[in-house]
Amino acid sequence: MSTRVLICDDSKLARKQLARVLPADWDVEVEFAEDGQDALDILSSSAFDLLFLDLNMPVKDGYETLEALQSFEQAPAVIVVSGDVQPKAIQRVKDMGAIAFHKKPASSEELRSLLLSLGLMTDGDDKESKPTIAAPTAAEQFTLNDCLQEVSNIAMGRAASVLAEMLNVFIKLPVPTVNILEVGELQMALDYSVKDDSCSAVSQGFVGSGIAFETLLIFSDSSFSDMAKLLGVTEEITRELETELLMDVSSILVGPFMAAIGKQLNIDFSHSHPMLLGQHVKIADLINVKKATWKRTLAVEIVYEVENYQISCDLMLLFTEDSVPTLENLLSFLVEEDE
Amino acid sequence: MSNNADGLADLHWMFDMLHHIDVGLVVLDSSYQVQLWNSFMENHSGVSSSIAKEQSLLALYPELDTGWLRQKLDNVFGLKTPIFVSWEQRPFLFPFKSYRPITGIADKMYQNVAIRPLSSPDGSIKQVCLVVYDVTDVATNKMALSAANHKLQRLSQALSR
Repeated sequence: MSTRVLICDDSKLARKQLARVLPADWDVEVEFAEDGQDALDILSSSAFDLLFLDLNMPVKDGYETLEALQSFEQAPAVIVVSGDVQPKAIQRVKDMGAIAFHKKPASSEELRSLLLSLGLMTDGDDKESKPTIAAPTAAEQFTLNDCLQEVSNIAMGRAASVLAEMLNVFIKLPVPTVNILEVGELQMALDYSVKDDSCSAVSQGFVGSGIAFETLLIFSDSSFSDMAKLLGVTEEITRELETELLMDVSSILVGPFMAAIGKQLNIDFSHSHPMLLGQHVKIADLINVKKATWKRTLAVEIVYEVENYQISCDLMLLFTEDSVPTLENLLSFLVEEDE
Repeated sequence: MSNNADGLADLHWMFDMLHHIDVGLVVLDSSYQVQLWNSFMENHSGVSSSIAKEQSLLALYPELDTGWLRQKLDNVFGLKTPIFVSWEQRPFLFPFKSYRPITGIADKMYQNVAIRPLSSPDGSIKQVCLVVYDVTDVATNKMALSAANHKLQRLSQALSR
C-alpha cells in the first residue's frame, strides 16, 4: 500500500516545488491543502501518513494546525517545511509534535536523506521511477504575484532569523502581500499598516539586471524604547541613539533579505547607502505625492512583529513599473527550473 | 608557492572590493576601449562587463557629447593630471536613473565624475580611470535650498516695497 502524503502550503508555487522534489522511487499518493483549515478538513475525513506543513499561512497557520492536530486520534506524522528558519520557530514546532523541520526550498537530495533518516521510506533496490505526480496542466499557471510572494517569503524568513539571533527573541512572520499600487494607494497602504501617529523610516535603493527597486523600512516610534531594552542600551534615548538603532536594525533586516532575494533571482544587486527618510514624521509625509515622478509601483509588504515586545516594523519593497517585465521573466525561469 | 596563493587571494578580495564598491569605475585605454566596467556600471547601465569590454566608450554611448568627452580624456592622457566634472556644470555623464526611484525626487542620477590618469610600471600613462559618484541627494538638496532662498528673497523684496 502506498504512503498517503498531504502537502499544506498557501503558495501554489511552494506546493508544486515540494511535490516535485519528493523521491521518484517513493510509492506515495499526494494530495494538497491550501491552508491549515483546509488541511484539517481533509485530515478529519480520511487518514494520511504524512503531512508536509508550512508555517506562515492565512486562515489557520502552521502552529494553529499543529495544535489542532494534537486532539486528533489518527494524526499523521508532520514535517514542517518553512522559510521561517528562526531557531525558536524550529524548537517550537518540534515541541508541538512535528517530527522534523526542513527549510524552504527543499532539494530532492536533502528531502530524500531526511525521509530515509526518519524511516519514512526505505532505500529500495528497485529505483524504477514511478511518476505519481501528474504533470502540471495548462491551467496551472503561476502569476507574478504567486512567485514574488514565495520568493519574498523565503527571504523574509532568512532576515527574521538573523534579527532573532541578534535580539534573542521570536519574530512573528506574516504572509507577504504583493500589490500594484498607485501613488495615492501607496500612501493609504502605509497609513493602514502603521497605526502610530508618528514613525521613522529608512530607504535604500537597489538596482541590477534591469530591475530597480527601493526598500522602505518604517518603524512606529513607539518601538524605540523596547528596541533599546532588547539591545541592552541603558543610557537615555537621544535622537542620535534612535538613528543608530534604526540604521542597525535596517541593515540587519534588509541585508539578509536582499541577499536571499538576489540568490534566488541570481542577481548581484548594487545598493545605495541607506538614507534616513524621516524621523518622527507623519506617515503621509514620507512620500511626496505631488513631486512623485512615478505612476505605479509593484509593492511587496511585510510586517515584522517581535513577540512579547511592542516592536513592529513594516518592510516594503517597491519595484519600478519598468522593472516588472524583467522580473516576470526572471521569476518564470525560477518556476521552470523546478521541473 | 604559498606566497603565490596569498597573492592570488589578495587579488581576489581586491577585485571583489573594486567590483562591488558603490561608485562607478571605468578604465579606458588610449583609444577609449573599455578595460574595466565594475558592477555599479553594469547594474545601472544594464550593460554587462563582458559586452562593455573591448568596446569604445564612445561606441557604447553614442549619445554622449563625443567632442567634449574626447577633449577631457585627451587632456588627462596628455597633461597626466586628473580632471573633475561637477554635476553643476553637467548634471550627468551617463544617463542613469535615480537610485531611489520611489521616494527620491529626481528621476535621473546626478553625477560627479573624476577622470584620473593611471600610470603603468614604466611611468607612462596608458590608461585612464573614470570614477562616477552618485550625488543625486546633494544636488536635489542644494536645488531645493536655493529655490527656497529665491522665494524668501522675493518675499522680503515684496515686503520692503
